Amino acid sequence: MRAFDFAAPRDIADALGLAGDTSAYVAGGTTLVDLMKLDVLAPEQLIDINRLPLHGIRLGPDGLRIGALERMEDIARHDAVAACYPLISQALLSSASPQLRNMASIGGNLLQRTRCGYFRDVATPCNKRAPGSGCPAQSGDNRGHAILGTSASCAATHASDVAVALVALDASVRLRGAAGNANARADGERTVPLADFYLRPGDTPHVENVLRPGELITEVIVPPLEWARRSVYVKVRDRQSYEFALASAAVAVDLRGGAVHDARVAVGGVGTVPWRLPAVEAALRAGQSHEAAAALAAEGARPLAGNAFKGTLVQRVILRALTELAGPR
Amino acid sequence: MRSVDREDGPVKVTGAATYAADHHPDGLAYGYLLTSTVARGTILAMDTAQAEKAPGVIAIYTPFHPLELRPYAKEENGELTPPIQNTDVRYYGQAIGLVVAETFEQARDAAALVSTRCDAERPRASFTDGLPSAVGTSVVDVLADGVSSIDEALDAGDVTVTATYTTPAETHVAMEPHATVAFWTGDQVTVHTATQGVRLVVDRLSETLAMDPARFRVINPYVGGGFGNKWDMWPHTPLTVAAARALGRPVKTVLTREQVFTVVGHRPLTAQTVSLSAARDGTLVAVKNDGVSSKSASNGFHEQPANLSLALYGSANLHVSRKAVTLDVPATTIMRAPGESNGSFALESALDELAGELGMDPVDLRRKNDTPVHPATGLPWSSKHLAECYTVGAERFGWSRRSPRPGTVTDGDWLVGLGMATATYGAGRGQASINVRLRDDGRAVVSGTAADLGTGQSTVFAVLAADRLGIPVGRVVPELGDSATPPAANAGGSGSTSTNGPAVQLAADAAKEALVKLATEHEKSPFHGQEVTFSAGEVRSGGDGMPFGELLTSLGVAAVEATATSPRNPVRDHAFRSFGAHFCEVRVNRWTGEPRVTRWSCVVDAGTIVNATTARSQIVGGVVMGIGQALLEDLRIEPETGRFGNATMADYLVPINADIPPIDVEFLNYPDTLLSDLGARGIGELGNVGAAAAVANAVHNATGKRIRDLPITLDKLL
Ligand SMILES: Cc1cc2nc3c(=O)[nH]c(=O)nc-3n(C[C@H](O)[C@H](O)[C@H](O)COP(=O)(O)OP(=O)(O)OC[C@H]3O[C@@H](n4cnc5c(N)ncnc54)[C@H](O)[C@@H]3O)c2cc1C
Ligand code: SF4
Repeated sequence: MRAFDFAAPRDIADALGLAGDTSAYVAGGTTLVDLMKLDVLAPEQLIDINRLPLHGIRLGPDGLRIGALERMEDIARHDAVAACYPLISQALLSSASPQLRNMASIGGNLLQRTRCGYFRDVATPCNKRAPGSGCPAQSGDNRGHAILGTSASCAATHASDVAVALVALDASVRLRGAAGNANARADGERTVPLADFYLRPGDTPHVENVLRPGELITEVIVPPLEWARRSVYVKVRDRQSYEFALASAAVAVDLRGGAVHDARVAVGGVGTVPWRLPAVEAALRAGQSHEAAAALAAEGARPLAGNAFKGTLVQRVILRALTELAGPR
Repeated sequence: MRSVDREDGPVKVTGAATYAADHHPDGLAYGYLLTSTVARGTILAMDTAQAEKAPGVIAIYTPFHPLELRPYAKEENGELTPPIQNTDVRYYGQAIGLVVAETFEQARDAAALVSTRCDAERPRASFTDGLPSAVGTSVVDVLADGVSSIDEALDAGDVTVTATYTTPAETHVAMEPHATVAFWTGDQVTVHTATQGVRLVVDRLSETLAMDPARFRVINPYVGGGFGNKWDMWPHTPLTVAAARALGRPVKTVLTREQVFTVVGHRPLTAQTVSLSAARDGTLVAVKNDGVSSKSASNGFHEQPANLSLALYGSANLHVSRKAVTLDVPATTIMRAPGESNGSFALESALDELAGELGMDPVDLRRKNDTPVHPATGLPWSSKHLAECYTVGAERFGWSRRSPRPGTVTDGDWLVGLGMATATYGAGRGQASINVRLRDDGRAVVSGTAADLGTGQSTVFAVLAADRLGIPVGRVVPELGDSATPPAANAGGSGSTSTNGPAVQLAADAAKEALVKLATEHEKSPFHGQEVTFSAGEVRSGGDGMPFGELLTSLGVAAVEATATSPRNPVRDHAFRSFGAHFCEVRVNRWTGEPRVTRWSCVVDAGTIVNATTARSQIVGGVVMGIGQALLEDLRIEPETGRFGNATMADYLVPINADIPPIDVEFLNYPDTLLSDLGARGIGELGNVGAAAAVANAVHNATGKRIRDLPITLDKLL
């Protein structure tokens, strides 16, 4: 870890004013401080945002609004969240450990970095960490890597569980930057659907999202979806807890007369970004069998030597989720 | 059987126990290892200029500016040569230098500024590629009269199974990272270092620093787990001791978690091709196991997994061979039940396959081939109750509920299977000396160089001494891990209790005698000139008794003490082993294939159990490690670079609590009186042996899939 300056502003304008090219916001620190210890990140200034007024979990007619600093555990245990959006609650509770969830914020969660071992080891090349240096995962240790949305430059998964659930629900993030940002309101605020927020690696895996330097996530907005009450997050991994997903599925179904009328399906552990599966949803809407619909999940997959099994696994995890919600079909 | 809480429990849970890294002598400087980032080659240059100017840096040692260390005289399980004496790189993650600074952070940050240029060669890093050229000619054949080869014997059976089983590299990841603190006083040096035996460290240091062993005091009363990985001495220790001498101030070096994966050794990979041939009734007629292990270019240790096939089941014909494949990887070393753990995965899986072919219950097949004599040597077992382990285990576990047809039992979305395997581990008794000191405060101090890695050894000392002296366990003060005390057994080979236990008993007896002598001979003693005895902590004569502490206080004598030595086991006409039986239930998700262990019973025949509480923890720990070996642990070597691909605790998976079901442990507790009067064999490794096979066998029973390559991850069951 390198020496750094530290500031803990109390209001948003001050935070935005302090932010620059070499600063980093810190919320729970469970991603950032880890990566600083590993020398992967070396910001010159840390801006502690924990005093900013970015709190609150509110369920209203316009859906669910979660302040960026709300802790994972608090969101997961929130009664309204658990009742109306079980998939969010379950995705959070299947993440990390209670200690981490008590520290980690939802804003930080959405911005957590990949768990690719090369990204985290500065002795190895990695295009995401050191652009142009190469991607050893393509031929190296890649059992945990993505099969969807990959490129020759990078095949790292996006590691967040809750982002998968949020993408399934058409959630958005509210962002605040310095006033006068292009595409933003005069006060520097804009709202971006989470599905557009994340970027696939392409040739620039170091650019992971559309966040501009110094921009803050202030809130997560989940639109209303009555039938999201019937939803589930299934996470599959080698051990039963405290591990990232090999494959996961966030699924909600609108069940009418025992048949699937509509569905939301997104998967984790397999994509370079949280991966929505519109083709699977369409097949389910069209009344196709669970098997036929799930079979579309791995279309376009580009497996590496160690992770070919994820093509099968991702279908099975969707089937398992659908069976849990709608019974066998 | 006694059940006594750990005597060191309170200091451990309150943080009062001082582990090696907890020592902060005045003027302490901090070392940080530099490690290689190629697996094979020669270091051409190391640029330390920038690092030397970094804040707080005191010294930087490299092969170009080394601390002089002499070659080791003997081969142990660690590296063959001391660190930084030449520019060879033999593996990725090798110690190639030491930065010493005023703080740990300064040393670490300066280390990041050192740049190293290497002439790198392509490493030998694939065990599979190396298998055809494995070397080693060591073969054991035990053939019945008139049989000319093992293959002829295999042909003679009614049913034969042959398969190859592989196990990956594993690593110990003990909770406490390796650490050394050294400080010199004149020409004497005190070393606090994490080790399974302080005497090992004294020996190694005296070799490499070319100094009389008497000048070293190595102290390590508390160890946060070892599992074989703190046997021998690893590179950070001599570097730290030598740096402290060169700089004239104390130095501490603690390995980072990542360094623990490479600097201090791992369990080698193995492959075993096993053939079993049996008569229709299940009688084994031939057992053949060709075993291969990986071996590091930097040391000599490799496993001999096939050996177990010589020692477990009776068969008129036996064959094992042992070969090794040399790889440019970190040191291969001993890890809990070296050879036997991997050996049992192959042998016990093969037995299960044979039972399937024969249409026989796996327990019945094992009973059929249970033998009162060692299969290869013909020597009778000193004490063996394996058959009872099977009976008691099957009963406790409910083995009769197992369906003989794999893949037929389901519970909701889960396929359910039951499996079992035999546990066994070698036993012996070495020489040990122990000192017992009876103090005027009424306490008895028991000391020797033994180590407690969290095993419960110090509590065993307390229980044995307390029982011998007739005082409460809480009045015994065990003092382990100090090289200034009598030479007792290092912690390894499941031999601590069997070796040290009898010595504790003898030393307690000798201390009693010394006290009795004092009581009768000391002029001021109320028992002067009388006939006295010692019982229940008191010196007695006629109807009068006096607690020993009171007597010593009244005489103004601080303590009486005695040291006794218990010799090596002299018995040569018997064979010694511990035995046991594992039974487990596994569930496999029918959609996504995750295997989950849901029930476990283990019955143990390990002689006298000195303390059931800590003994149970040892067995449970062995089973937990076995579940990890079966389902999770896999230290992956990148074939192109020789780098471990998952050398962090986030990526190298070991079980967490949620992976472990309640584990039922039962001890038969038959004293092995041929081994010692105490009758205790060993339990440290036993629980680990057979555990992975029991899981694999249950997975087969659940799914019909036979997984012969560990770990059994869900991708293999999809
Ligand atoms: C051992 C371990 C296991 C884990 N397992 C899982 C798991 O199973 N599933 C899972 O989903 N996650 C897992 N995580 C990741 C964890 O969820 C994230 O580390 C956590 O959510 C990050 O939140 P934080 O508040 O600590 O972020 P920080 O570390 O404080 O910040 C992370 C990043 O986000 C930026 N940032 C934070 N807040 C804002 C904001 N409001 N606006 C703009 N930028 C911001 C920071 O600058 C930084 O770049 C695990 C983490 C660890 C250490
Ligand atoms: S997969 Fe991405 S993060 Fe991993 S090494 Fe390649 S470029 Fe880096």
